[in-house]
Amino acid sequence: MSSTSVYPTPINAFKQSKRSVLSVIVDNEPGILARIVGLFSGRGYNIEALNVTVVDVKKNLSRITIETLGEEKVISQIIAQLEKLVPVHSATNLAYLSESYEAEICLVKIEFENEEQDQKILNFADIYRSRTVQKRQNVVVYEISGTSERINKFLDDLDTIGGIKVELVRSGPIGLGI
Amino acid sequence: MTNENEFTGADILLKALKDQEVDTIFGYPGGAVLPIYDAIFGQNFLKHVLVRQEAGAVHAAEGYARSSGKVGVLLVTSGPGVTNVVTGLTDALMDSIPIVCISGQVPSHLIGTDAFQECDTTGITRPCTKHNYLVKDVSKLSETIHEAFKIASSGRPGPVLIDIPKDVQFAKSKYISKKDISFREHRIKAGSKNVDKIFVEELVNHIKKSERPIFYVGGGCLNSGHQASQELIKLVNKTNIPITTTLHGLGCFPGEDKSSLGMLGMHGNYEANLAMNKCDLMINVGARFDDRVTGRLDAFSPDSIKFHIDIDQSSINKNVKVNFHTNTDITLTLKEINSFIDSNNIDFGDKDYSNWWGQINEWRKKECLHYEQGDEVIKPQHAISRLYELTKQKDTFVTTEVGQHQMWAAQYYKFSKPNRWITSGGLGTMGFGMPAAVGAQMANPDSLVIDIAGEASFLMNIQEIATAVQYKLPIKIFILNNEYMGMVRQWQELLHGSRYSESYVDALPDFKKLAESFNAVGVRAKNVSELDDTINEMISIDRPVIADIWVDKKENCFPMIPSGAAHHEMLLSKYDKENPENQEKGKVLV
Ligand SMILES: Cc1ncc(C[n+]2csc(CCOP(=O)(O)OP(=O)(O)O)c2C)c(N)n1
Ligand SMILES: [Mg+2]
Repeated sequence: MSSTSVYPTPINAFKQSKRSVLSVIVDNEPGILARIVGLFSGRGYNIEALNVTVVDVKKNLSRITIETLGEEKVISQIIAQLEKLVPVHSATNLAYLSESYEAEICLVKIEFENEEQDQKILNFADIYRSRTVQKRQNVVVYEISGTSERINKFLDDLDTIGGIKVELVRSGPIGLGI
Repeated sequence: MTNENEFTGADILLKALKDQEVDTIFGYPGGAVLPIYDAIFGQNFLKHVLVRQEAGAVHAAEGYARSSGKVGVLLVTSGPGVTNVVTGLTDALMDSIPIVCISGQVPSHLIGTDAFQECDTTGITRPCTKHNYLVKDVSKLSETIHEAFKIASSGRPGPVLIDIPKDVQFAKSKYISKKDISFREHRIKAGSKNVDKIFVEELVNHIKKSERPIFYVGGGCLNSGHQASQELIKLVNKTNIPITTTLHGLGCFPGEDKSSLGMLGMHGNYEANLAMNKCDLMINVGARFDDRVTGRLDAFSPDSIKFHIDIDQSSINKNVKVNFHTNTDITLTLKEINSFIDSNNIDFGDKDYSNWWGQINEWRKKECLHYEQGDEVIKPQHAISRLYELTKQKDTFVTTEVGQHQMWAAQYYKFSKPNRWITSGGLGTMGFGMPAAVGAQMANPDSLVIDIAGEASFLMNIQEIATAVQYKLPIKIFILNNEYMGMVRQWQELLHGSRYSESYVDALPDFKKLAESFNAVGVRAKNVSELDDTINEMISIDRPVIADIWVDKKENCFPMIPSGAAHHEMLLSKYDKENPENQEKGKVLV
């Protein structure tokens, strides 16, 4: 993975994984998501995360970002299959670009029981420059963004605090080639 | 207020079909397509062929398309009408056959209410079409139909479905003609028109260097058009390189030519499979390294440099990694190879691969297609050989069902031209051949069209005899009647200890009487002395004929690469025994 983020990550050594992020530009028409999801399920590929939004209203284009796992051979086959779909303009493996940026957003709701936990949470939030969205009594909601790895690490760190309750939602990664 | 420039959806459909030069449509009516049937009633450019089950319509459209090179078209109603064509759409997708299926849908305002004969047509057919549409706005109908035809026939061809709600068939709009539509290139995926010159040069250099080259040619060559086959013949003649074809490639190169090694693969020729295994240069022209062809992948042609010409990018490196590839159309690429050779005065004359041909001729001496025909019971191989000899002077199209008879047809019937051989390869759909023959005969009214059938497969779409009779289509159903699902019986014999579980076809009809009851003609050969006369009689009758040919019930189809085995591990006859380790592994494969 060559991707970097506008947000610095505390992880120095980037983990080498067979994870790929695919960026697909499509005509925004009925059934396009079903075509893509059906292609993955029908051919036995994994979807780890998925994000779909219109990105050009005038030209009626959507960008679909898919995080998937697989060997290089499988990923090339997925790209070739995606590019055969009629409404697909292009399918790109962000890892193949010389430079690409990736980001994900995550909202975390934390219920804590005491002051000490709150302080620890705040500390971590600070390190990761996570923004407080809401805070009332013993519930706090943070928004954190950056590479998926960075969010994973933040969540791992939160995990080290015992006795708190965490509920979260993640957007899945999105990315752009530069 | 009526506007002269506005037409109903049903009329727009007919105008578009006319514009697309469609003159034949296979269909079956129902509530959700009645407006379209009404429009068909009042015109005469389009001939509607009423099938007896929608499965017949889709296979007929496939047979029409394959035998004519044009797009096949069918029309079915909503719900059960369209679910009946799912098999055929999948078949056309697997075998890259251009067809357009028009289906009726319940009116827009009822979609999603579980209305009578509603089904999620685009949902059900999404994985079995190249593309599909639900047209909710009549003003989009013209361009949708034109795009559908373009997509079906461009790049790697395939089936496209257009679902039209009943209210849209009544609603009015302007008609936009084909010439006024500008297609968006990314949607058509026609493949590159630029020949890859580097690929061509590399290929010619490798041909010059190689000692043991081979052409491996598939259905893509067929889909590229007749000229592809002409260029291929030129190239083979120039280079003296042996050529083998897949099941669908049969006919792209004359089967009786000295350079032809025949079909390769599971039931392919010994010399073809051995040559694939031992070659040092493989030139794949429009084939997709299907598992029926490659056998065990880790032992597939281990020592060869591989070149692959295929318009479909997803066919490259899918099953087998290749060294060089191009996605440019086969005709264009082969033409460039030929002209590169000519303009650089490259002479292959002294390089005649004589050692390689010597080796191949040794393999040929095995006579892998040899069989013993006794005086009584007809051997199925003999039946096909005689059929070939007695029809080869005629302008003949052959369709098949699926099973042993299909493989024997591929082995013993020789094709010299493309588009004469119409069979279900990728999906292996029993019941394909008879309706496909109806389609082929519609496209070629003056030719001889024969469905080489098994009795079990024939029963799957037997109702279509009525279609053949109604439209006076003199198709011939040549049944190799072994009273077994022979191919199933063969696998049970080889892999399941001869436990013939449910593969005997009991309670068969009397095919002669059956033919007569449909107002067709039935003929029969019970032993070898009756065979030629029966075939000649069949050919001479200018009506649909069912020929019931009683063949040896226990005959197996050889040679055979059992599933899980490699090319060089072919079984030549029932006396060859399979390596038991392969057998265990192969059992789980199909
Ligand atoms: C629709 C369908 N169902 C099942 C099969 C599996 N199958 C392959 S060959 C075969 C037997 C075909 O019997 P028959 O038509 O008599 O041909 P034979 O092998 O005897 O020549 C069967 C059941 C199939 N290919 N298609
Ligand atoms: Mg049979």
